[in-house]
Amino acid sequence: MNWNCEKVETNLSDYVDRLLAPEERRGFEAHVHGCAVCAPLVARMTSLVASMHALEPLEHPAELERKILNATLGPRKEKLGWRVWFGWMQPVLQPKFAYGALTLIITAAVISQAVGIEWRKPILADLNPVNIYRTADRNAHLIYARSSKFFSDLRVVYEIQSRLRPETPPQPAPEQKQNPGTSNAPDERSPRKMNRARMQDVVTVASVLGVLPGRSSR
Amino acid sequence: MAWEDLVRRHTRRIYNICYRFTSNRTEAEDLTQDVFLRIYRTLGSYREAHGGFATWMTSVTRNLLIDHYRRTRRDRMTDSIEDALPQVEEKESKGRRPDQAALSGELSGQVQYALSKISPDLREAVILRDLQGLEYREIQDVLSVPEGTVKSRINRGRLELARLLEQMGLRPE
Repeated sequence: MNWNCEKVETNLSDYVDRLLAPEERRGFEAHVHGCAVCAPLVARMTSLVASMHALEPLEHPAELERKILNATLGPRKEKLGWRVWFGWMQPVLQPKFAYGALTLIITAAVISQAVGIEWRKPILADLNPVNIYRTADRNAHLIYARSSKFFSDLRVVYEIQSRLRPETPPQPAPEQKQNPGTSNAPDERSPRKMNRARMQDVVTVASVLGVLPGRSSR
Repeated sequence: MAWEDLVRRHTRRIYNICYRFTSNRTEAEDLTQDVFLRIYRTLGSYREAHGGFATWMTSVTRNLLIDHYRRTRRDRMTDSIEDALPQVEEKESKGRRPDQAALSGELSGQVQYALSKISPDLREAVILRDLQGLEYREIQDVLSVPEGTVKSRINRGRLELARLLEQMGLRPE
C-alpha cells in the first residue's frame, strides 16, 4: 500500500488511537519518517491528543447540584448548623433503633437485677464473678420457692372455691307417677341446713390443709 | 435517594461537556440544569436499547447543546462587535474568556479557545473522544452517525485544533 501525505492526514487519528493494523502502521511510519511535512504534523497531533487526555475535568459550581435538585425535586430546606453537625446521627434516631435500644436497656436492667448489681450505689464487688454467681443462684432459688408457694396457695384457694361452689341445680326429673296417698311437699333439707353443712365442709378442708390455726388433720 | 445520587455522580461530567461546547460558565451551568430537568422528565423513556445510561445522558446533553447552538446562532453573529468591546464582555461574563486563558499559557484555556473556533460537529466529536474519553462505538450511539463519520469528524477536529494552536503560536507540551 502506497502512503502519501493525503493518506497520512486521513489516517492520522487512527494512527494516534492505535487503530491501524500492524502492516498499515509500518507503512504509515515509513512515510512519516521520510516526509518533512507529515513528521511535524504527526508530532503535533500526538502531543495534542496526549495533552487533552491528561486534562483534569473542570470543577462545577458548588451550588449547581442544589439548584438541580431544587428544580427537579422542589425547593429543599437548608440544613441548619446543628443538623450539619449531627446529621450523622440520623440513622441512630430511627424508630427501629430506638426500639432496639429500649429492649437492650430493659434486658440489661433485668439481668443486672438478677445478678444483684445495684446501680444506685455501685460497688466494685458487684462485678466480682463469685458474687454475681452467688446472687444469681440465690435469686433463682428465691424465684423457685416463691413460685412453688404461689402454686401451692392457688391449690388451696381452688379447693375452698370448689367446696363453696353451689351444687348444680338438679335436672328436672321426668315426672313420676305419684303413688296414691303421698303428698307433693318439697325436700326436707332447708337452706339453713344446707349452708351449715357447707361451712362444716370448709372447716374440714381447712383443717386438713392446715390453714386454720388450732386444728389439725387426724 | 437514587435521584440525588445520580445528580451528584453525573453533574461534573455533564457540566464539563456543556462548558467545553459553549466556552461559557454561565451558559454551561444553565444547560446542565436543563439537561437534568429533561432527564428527570423523560427518565421513564430510557431503554437499554439506547445504550448505557451514561451514554443516554450524553445523548440528551448533546441534543440540548445542539438546540442551544441553533437558538443562539443569531446572537453569535454579533461576536465581532463584542470582540471590539472587551470591557463590556468582561462585565457580563462570569470568569475569564477562553482567549484570555489561552494567552495566559494554560493548556486547558488554549484547548478551550481552539475548540470554540471549530465547527460544532467537529467540536462535539473531539470533546466526547478526547475530553470525555468515550469509545468510538459510544460516540456513534450519542451522535447517531455511522462509525466512518465519527472517525472522520474526530480526525478533522483534531487537525483543526492542531492548526489553530499552531497559528496561535501555542503548542501543547
